[in-house]
Amino acid sequence: MTPRLARLFVPFAALALALTACTAGSTTSPAPSGSVGGTAATSTDKITLGLVAEPASLDFTKSDGAAIPQALLVNVYEGLVKLDQDGKIVPALAKSWKVSDDKKTYTFDLVEGAKFTNGAAFTAEDAVFSIQRVATDWTTSLKKGMEVVTEAKAVSPTQLQVTLSAPSNDWLYRMTTHLGAMFSKTGVADIATKPIGTGPYTFTSWNRGDSITLTRNDSYWGTKPYYQTVVLKYFKDATALNNALLTGAINVVTTVQAPEALGQFTSNPKYQVIEGTTNGEVLLSFNNSNEIFKDKKVREAIRRGIDHKALMDTCWAGKGTLVGSFVPPTDPWYEDLTGVMPFDKAKATALLTEAGKAGTTLRLRVPTLPYAVSCGQVVKAQLEAVGFKIELDQLEFPAAWVTEVFKGGNFDMSIVAHVEPRDMKAVFGNPEYYTHYATPEYVALMKAADEGSAEDQVTNLKKAARLLAEDAAGDVLFILPNLMVADKGITGLPKNAIAVALDLTKLRKG
Amino acid sequence: MTLPGGLSRLATGLQPASSQRSRRGVSATIAIGGGIVAFIAIVGLLSLVWTPYDPGGIDPTSRLQLSSSAHWLGTDKFGRDVLSLLMAGSRTTLVVGIVAVGVAALIGVPLGIMSAMTTRWWGEAVMRANDLLLAFPALLLAIMLTAVHGQGVVTAMVAIGIASIPSFARVVRSGAIGVMKTEYVLAARAAGRRPLAIAFRHVLPNVTSLIIVQASVSFAIAVLAEAALSYLGLGAPPGTPSWGRMLQEGQELLFVAPRLEVFPGIAIALAVLGLNLLGDGLRDRFDPRLRDRR
Repeated sequence: MTPRLARLFVPFAALALALTACTAGSTTSPAPSGSVGGTAATSTDKITLGLVAEPASLDFTKSDGAAIPQALLVNVYEGLVKLDQDGKIVPALAKSWKVSDDKKTYTFDLVEGAKFTNGAAFTAEDAVFSIQRVATDWTTSLKKGMEVVTEAKAVSPTQLQVTLSAPSNDWLYRMTTHLGAMFSKTGVADIATKPIGTGPYTFTSWNRGDSITLTRNDSYWGTKPYYQTVVLKYFKDATALNNALLTGAINVVTTVQAPEALGQFTSNPKYQVIEGTTNGEVLLSFNNSNEIFKDKKVREAIRRGIDHKALMDTCWAGKGTLVGSFVPPTDPWYEDLTGVMPFDKAKATALLTEAGKAGTTLRLRVPTLPYAVSCGQVVKAQLEAVGFKIELDQLEFPAAWVTEVFKGGNFDMSIVAHVEPRDMKAVFGNPEYYTHYATPEYVALMKAADEGSAEDQVTNLKKAARLLAEDAAGDVLFILPNLMVADKGITGLPKNAIAVALDLTKLRKG
Repeated sequence: MTLPGGLSRLATGLQPASSQRSRRGVSATIAIGGGIVAFIAIVGLLSLVWTPYDPGGIDPTSRLQLSSSAHWLGTDKFGRDVLSLLMAGSRTTLVVGIVAVGVAALIGVPLGIMSAMTTRWWGEAVMRANDLLLAFPALLLAIMLTAVHGQGVVTAMVAIGIASIPSFARVVRSGAIGVMKTEYVLAARAAGRRPLAIAFRHVLPNVTSLIIVQASVSFAIAVLAEAALSYLGLGAPPGTPSWGRMLQEGQELLFVAPRLEVFPGIAIALAVLGLNLLGDGLRDRFDPRLRDRR
């Protein structure tokens, strides 16, 4: 090639860079990875689902990360109880359970005939073993949820009794997550590579960097699933994930990362789009330990300065739910609190002027996640219209964001989706957490909610949610939607991603 | 990746490219290249005082519109006018290019002249250190600096500038060595002029043409590097109009609204093409060996 030609090629290489470097720039988002429970129609009895963020290990007792329980819980491992699509706790390995009057003793009647995939029968002894194992062998932060248990004993092979140190509504809920997964006494040696549970699927293989294969457990005690083989295929890039569906490499996209990209599927009769909700509260968080946020007028000015409807329309294509406080619509204590401090630009400006803080510069530091970067720009535009000055920058997620914002507290505001279920108590109510919000009134409501009756829990958490809204402790921009796309004819896909598990058991075709 | 190739091309930038080229061809190259660059500069300056819409103006009611008489190049997912964004983005591109080339020239040129004028060991040492830096991928250096100093246009400019130092130092050194052997420099030295005076009076003016050519080529590389860094989320922060950022924001909509990728892509390609043509033409014009052939 002559030098001149070589030179001419450079500009086109620029364009090529623009088109091919896409993979390098994308980040996987912790956006909802919905539980899937649909049915796919393929002639080979095999279904392939596309997911984001591959797990780093298969042992959720030692590694954090939502991807492990997402793939294994309910499918390979089962708990005593599980969460249904409406957020209710329903039986799994426990047929039924009774709670004593002092709310400290739970008696579970277990199903009969359940067997681990290593051949051992599931008994109350295994349940005791699994519960006790949390304290001795687990290393993840989740294990704290089991600290309230003082004793677990097998009354008979099919009856289990658990005693708590104090009443806790939260404990039974935590048992629906992987914290309550039941392990075999003789089958925990290799759980990082060879999980053994009682579930409707058997773990078959893990092709690292690519996929996990599950096979139907033909000796399952309950209703056997439809598909012989389920492949969970992991993608690093949202565009690649969508393309895999278009080319037929997968049957289901479990999480559509960019709602605008739905357009290419909605118009195509080959596909169905499933829209549900998640636990993911997209929170515009305030660093409440900063002097400026001690002034409630400033916090209120921010809440009133944001037009949530316009924001959601702009940065997330109008998909999602507006809630007004830190509770997703699937929790029993949800109420619509969008009316507490509605958008009012004039009032926001007035409040800011009253507080004497007009023109104040706030640092909005967002993680490099699609929704955060998008919404950050809209928040900046809206708050600058009210009279703030916003300095927006983005931090690599997770490393830089965790160091600077989450641990370092070096920020005024940030935007991140809190996807953990029932996380009101974790995100607010802890003075050490990055939101630094823990008024005595709020902490008292949390305690009362955990220790009271089921009705008390609902009443107190409703009050707490209202308190968060009225005190403008932060601003929930919207609840992330659960957007799935699947081949037409697949049913049983759970539209709401509100449990930690991706429920594959109800998938059918036709 | 285009950068390493671009850099290695730079290392040989002083050799006569094609001695058969006629003077008329050279002028055409300068005219086309200069025209494109001037056009971008004018657009950038114009955007300071006027753009069709506010480039940061988010408007939920006009999202993802196709080209129309209201929005010539359509709107992006925030409802921002793509033409206005492109115009304002040219500013970022120009500023990054100018500052990066400035940093590189301010450090690289003195280093090159110094190492050419001295016969001591450190002249050699400077050039070997230079080789080390040259071996270091520019983008990697930029990513490293971003990790330390945080994301931003300033970090990107400095990083790109530092990465371009070796090319300036090498080009200037090779030119300066030739100048040091000329009779007027020998005469000046014999007359007892100080090295600094010789450097400014005799060496620098004689390597200026080399610096100009190098600046033009480095500018093109800086434009590409800025786009790449912004695309990776390491350059311009969200909300700053930048061609690289536009590419990044449009990527998720590649199949829904491909024009969001095409327009900034064309802008980057055009800018780099213009700068390369200009550099090419200037080099042919200034190259002493070509001049001798006249």
